Amino acid sequence: MSTSPDHLNAGTPIRASDGFIGLPRSWRKRAIILVRLMSGAALVVAALVTPGFLTATSILSLLTTIPFIGCVAVGMTFITLSGNVMSFCLGATLSATTIVFMASVPIGLAGALVLAFLFSVLVTGAQGWMVGYFRANPIIVSMAVLALIYGFVTLFTGGRGIYPAGTETDILKGRIGWVPIPLAAFMVTVVLGQFLLSYTRFGRNVFMVGSNYRAALAAGIPAWRTITGAYMVAGLFTAVSAVLMAARYASGDMEHGLGYDYHAISAVVVGGNAIGGGQGSVVRTLLGTVIISILRGMLLLWGFSTQMQYLTTGIVVFGVIMLHSLGETR
Amino acid sequence: MSASRTYREGAAQAAPKGDGASPAAIVEVTNLCKDFGAVSALRNVSIDIAPGEVRAICGENGAGKSTLVKILTGVYRPNAGSIKVAGQPCDISSPKMAQELGIALVAQELSLCPDLSVEANIWLGSVKVPLFHQRARFTQRAREALDLLGATRISLDTPVRQLGMGERQLVEIARLLTRDARVLILDEPTATLSDIEIERIFSALVAIKQQGRSIIYITHRLAEVFQICDTVTVLRNGELIETRPVAGLDRKILIEMMLGRSFVEVYPEPITIRGEAALVVDGLSIPGSVSNFNVSAPRGTITCIAGQVGSGAVDVIDALAGLVYNASGRVSVNGVPVLLGSAVRALESDIMFISGDRAEEGIFRHLSVFDNLVATRLGSFSTLGMLRRSGLKATARNLAEQVGIDRRRLSSLADELSGGNQQKLAFGRCIGNRKSGVLVMNEPTRGIDVGARAEIYRIMRAFCAQGYTLIMTTNDLEETIGLADIIVTMYRGKLVGRYNRHEVDMHRLISDITHPVVVPAA
Repeated sequence: MSTSPDHLNAGTPIRASDGFIGLPRSWRKRAIILVRLMSGAALVVAALVTPGFLTATSILSLLTTIPFIGCVAVGMTFITLSGNVMSFCLGATLSATTIVFMASVPIGLAGALVLAFLFSVLVTGAQGWMVGYFRANPIIVSMAVLALIYGFVTLFTGGRGIYPAGTETDILKGRIGWVPIPLAAFMVTVVLGQFLLSYTRFGRNVFMVGSNYRAALAAGIPAWRTITGAYMVAGLFTAVSAVLMAARYASGDMEHGLGYDYHAISAVVVGGNAIGGGQGSVVRTLLGTVIISILRGMLLLWGFSTQMQYLTTGIVVFGVIMLHSLGETR
Repeated sequence: MSASRTYREGAAQAAPKGDGASPAAIVEVTNLCKDFGAVSALRNVSIDIAPGEVRAICGENGAGKSTLVKILTGVYRPNAGSIKVAGQPCDISSPKMAQELGIALVAQELSLCPDLSVEANIWLGSVKVPLFHQRARFTQRAREALDLLGATRISLDTPVRQLGMGERQLVEIARLLTRDARVLILDEPTATLSDIEIERIFSALVAIKQQGRSIIYITHRLAEVFQICDTVTVLRNGELIETRPVAGLDRKILIEMMLGRSFVEVYPEPITIRGEAALVVDGLSIPGSVSNFNVSAPRGTITCIAGQVGSGAVDVIDALAGLVYNASGRVSVNGVPVLLGSAVRALESDIMFISGDRAEEGIFRHLSVFDNLVATRLGSFSTLGMLRRSGLKATARNLAEQVGIDRRRLSSLADELSGGNQQKLAFGRCIGNRKSGVLVMNEPTRGIDVGARAEIYRIMRAFCAQGYTLIMTTNDLEETIGLADIIVTMYRGKLVGRYNRHEVDMHRLISDITHPVVVPAA
């Protein structure tokens, strides 16, 4: 549009374009914020009136599930922000990492941790390189990697899980003071993730590449390295989730990460990160994770089945996407 | 476009001029108002357009041109006022209805399907085509429409993908003609066209006009108003300033009507610190587009590369910016050789790039003004990858001040800025890393209105004064002559001529870039 609203020059009146409901954009934005707040309030009220929600057991179980989804979701945030929508193989990466971790526990816990992190970062980093350097379609690449991971892992394990005899990994199930280690690890992940985004050159580059790849290229920002980096960070945080989960179940298994891509994607979207990249934060993802987890916990307490949980999450994600599109329509 | 040639002459002189509400008006708009919330985008605007009249609508960005067009084409509904089409009061409630009334918009972003043939595109979606085609008749009508526009060389079977932008526009117009459009609205039709293509569009418009159809012509290029339009309506801040015949107007008066204040010449005087050659390009070649291009630009000067679309001018700029991986040749900045093919290395060699495609390649629309300003200088404000925010903030404030962006806007999204202000962001990003860099630019004033243009030119001269060397392309020959210290002309990938300021006139430029007498040997 050649007459874009220019309310930045003094003297020019504020103009807004018509939306499909005929509301000016600024009003529409307010309306959407209102809808968001009301949905949030509705969720809180629903949670509070759910019998058994405000009990120690229920809250504890919430706090134990949030970290596993949360770490993957924070990782996913980097992929989304870098303009590559999302990766469908973080769940599989998580599973495969639990296997690598458990299989290498015999060489010692420290060595196993290093190997697990290395494996995960390499798997996602390779994806990032494909996407960033060759501009391959991120969705297709992630689906190809998904198949590759399943293929390789089942080739080596014969489709069975790995159950080491020792108890070395139990230390990861412990607590630091009153805080369970998974929760502590998640808090560190959130702080580190947000720090990377806000206070490092890499983080700002992620935003720029995600906002406009060609402009980033033209501005001399190392675009493919930034994207590869974003994927590697995703792998790093996925590995955090993986070692914690392996320790929790004392096993490495391709089943562990099942559905985690979807949960992570839901958290990123529900938190309000722009699906197209360039706008968002780890804090938003944290919010999304909490919302999704409360919703799931609540449905569990109401006695709904897993299918019902999927259905509800689907409806919520769908609603958020609709709402987002309304905000963008001009 | 040739300034010497005027398409107004001889064409429908009978068309009534001015706003003497003639009963024969094809479109009669009375006291039109449109509010958005508390803000009015149009206030009591009345215009009449006679059959066969070419009416320019001028105004700065935000003047209300687009709102008016959108009301006429049924996209917006007015809050007050009436519209009569051919004497009948109409409530244009939808784009479809506008089409039925014969008011048609030639879209800026052309709405053709690239993989379908010209003929298929012309008839696509037309209600006149019955379920069973009477192929011959429709083919003939499509042919007639194209021939009327002078597009005799466009074959009906060609897929639109193979046509140039100008030809596509002709097809688009032909499509509207077959739908019996009585009023054609063209919104910046020449923005993406080369001069030859513009000439063809103009001849086509004359043909349309001679048929008694009317044209509403919206443009930022004022020279075109004088070339092609009969009358001009000036809008400012949503109000009608005046409608006047073009004859008897001059550029300066028109600009002053648009700005509402007296107008100081757009092009600032050059400040010459002509020193040694700061940028030397020797034997630059790009397979398929540029061969053996040479230029040498002294410090503190502006060099314009003039050439039509496809002449390679844009490719030269892209190559200098490091965006063309297979470019070869020797380029040096201040005597230091530059390795081509990487934007990161170009930046390290003090070559900064301002894209002509702001939205796609220039700014980060969804990031803040602050982020946009400091995009290229994060490196100098980070220790081990961690940023020093306070230093960055101070720099951003300083940059905003230098390019004339209100510092309170630092946290706004770049998307919310006008085109002119967005371009200032791109300039701000380039300031001050070093004092002696090279700015390479494609079409730095594309889509920017006349008031903001002057400011951009001022900023460019300020860069020169600091010791920067500027090299740019532009499609606007008037701008080339007004602004450049050195003009280089290109034709089909080869350098044609090199001129200093005042050494060249419009005729010479046009002949250089369209059909040079001698193309120097490579």
